Amino acid sequence: MSEPRKILIEARDLTVGYGERIVLERINFQVHRGEVFAILGASGSGKSTLLKHLIGLHQPVSGDVLISGASLVNAEGDERLGILRKFGVLYQGGALFGSLTAVENVRLPLDEFTELSEAAKDLIALSKLRLVGLEMAATKLPADLSGGMQKRAGIARAIVLDPCVLFLDEPSAGLDPITSAGLDALIRELAGGLGITFVMVTHELASIFSVADRVVVLDPKVRGIVAEGPPAWLRENATQPWVRQFLNREVA
Amino acid sequence: MPGLTPVELPVQWEISVRPDGTGTLVFKGELDAVSTPVAWRKLERELTGIKLVGLRIDVAQLSSCDSAGLALLYHLSAGGMTPGAKVELLGLNPELKHLFQSFSTEDVQALQEHEPACSSIVDDVGEATLAWLRDLRDQVEFIGEVTLDVFASLLRPRRMRWQEVMRVFELAGVNALPIVFLLTFLIGMVIAFESAQPLAQLGAQVYVANLLGLTISRELGPVMTAIMLAGRSGSAFAAELGTMKVNEELNALQTMGLSPIRFLVVQRVVAGLLLTPILTIFAMYAGLLGGIPVLLGLGFPLRMVLYQIQSGLHFGDLAEGLSKSIIFGGIVASVSCLRGLQTGEGPRAVGESTTRSVVSSILLIILADALFAAVTFVLRK
Repeated sequence: MSEPRKILIEARDLTVGYGERIVLERINFQVHRGEVFAILGASGSGKSTLLKHLIGLHQPVSGDVLISGASLVNAEGDERLGILRKFGVLYQGGALFGSLTAVENVRLPLDEFTELSEAAKDLIALSKLRLVGLEMAATKLPADLSGGMQKRAGIARAIVLDPCVLFLDEPSAGLDPITSAGLDALIRELAGGLGITFVMVTHELASIFSVADRVVVLDPKVRGIVAEGPPAWLRENATQPWVRQFLNREVA
Repeated sequence: MPGLTPVELPVQWEISVRPDGTGTLVFKGELDAVSTPVAWRKLERELTGIKLVGLRIDVAQLSSCDSAGLALLYHLSAGGMTPGAKVELLGLNPELKHLFQSFSTEDVQALQEHEPACSSIVDDVGEATLAWLRDLRDQVEFIGEVTLDVFASLLRPRRMRWQEVMRVFELAGVNALPIVFLLTFLIGMVIAFESAQPLAQLGAQVYVANLLGLTISRELGPVMTAIMLAGRSGSAFAAELGTMKVNEELNALQTMGLSPIRFLVVQRVVAGLLLTPILTIFAMYAGLLGGIPVLLGLGFPLRMVLYQIQSGLHFGDLAEGLSKSIIFGGIVASVSCLRGLQTGEGPRAVGESTTRSVVSSILLIILADALFAAVTFVLRK
């Protein structure tokens, strides 16, 4: 048994919502360094809302999000920028900039945040594209890439500054099973090889069982977490029957 | 030949060269995105002056190394700083090996060799002409289709979605009243100011009111209203339909057996045809209201100003302005809808179709206005 790993992300008494409408109440969980952590739940349970609060796109109603012990909610200015630089985000559609080629998209963070030479930036950007299997599509515009390729290019851009954490919003959504399995393999490789911590929101049970070390399951009825643990263990041992049904893909 | 780096850098290195021309480069510390650019430049300077046949790079003592550091190590291993030397990298953390293997000089060469295809001017002119002709054909087809559907809908009013017509009427018409008022009021003022002096030199300053009445009712009222409509509402039509196309809502309509033209365009065209004359009448009044204070300031009594405007304006002038406005309204609504329906793939396409709708609408408004001017000139003879 390995020694306990360091806590990298912590949601502490996090209550999130939109205006008067509370979506999730008093959420608490911790993500450890190098872990692949999945947020699960039925449609409308608040998974994407939670993710948007974890990455600081929205301010929570109350509570805090700690990244490497630093509060993202209360940070401002350079301190906030420093925390944001620690993580990358892959949005559902890849969120590539349409006017830039794949390699220019990946190079963009290097152009903005490093003093490296042009040659070094090209070398790094192309290495990330090769890492996700897109070196042949470097000069293509996002419009000329398929959905799966756009997601892989999005991952290449998200990891170009070597973040500690990568947040993924529905990484397998809209992909065929082979591309989806390839993406899972890439996540495993990046987590194992580069030590990147992953926090992912997904519906894909195959992906969860393939890559996730631990999951939390959200329930819209209780507006909170109803189960937490390794997915294979939860499938058999979750106390809530619907969590077991959900993980076993059974009709209620 | 040791070369130690300044202590403030988190990475240090030591270069030693043996008499047989082989050398060793030993790294210590942290090679990251902050230290790498400095290390890269310094190492390039230091290694330029040394002739090496072989180089062993020892990175076993590096405590951390990120992608930027690995890029430097790859550049060194590929002989980027020691051309002709056989380079060997030792002691790389096994966890970083896969990442290191993702670097490739072939990829960089392929990127540098890639140049966007440059077509000849003859090709460009030919393609542009073809595109223009195709666009013209599409516009004619579209206008024909819209005209048929508008008549069909007016003949069977129950088929028309009047609620949608009213919504568009409110958004594009009622909500545009303040900006149309402000714009034409100011234009009326400008015309009065600009024409007062030249006409005074001819002793005809009293005819400023006549000039104002004629230009506002025949020309500027309908044209400015149509341009405002194109910029404000036409662009909104194009963006709305363009977004619907990107979101596949138009495909959904077609697969349900509904014509996007009958379902979405006809309502906008009918609303455009109805609201433009009303907005134009409003614009005419606003323009005259803008000129009157200037004329009062020039010392003309209000009664005289109103008399001059009334005597200078005839029913034909108003009819010309209003008939123009109906045509302009039809142009703006139909062209904007066409551009919206022609939207391509991706979010950029919506912006492009919006721009195209405004440019095409204004161009066609001015073209139609020029035709009107020529025709009415001949008819007045």
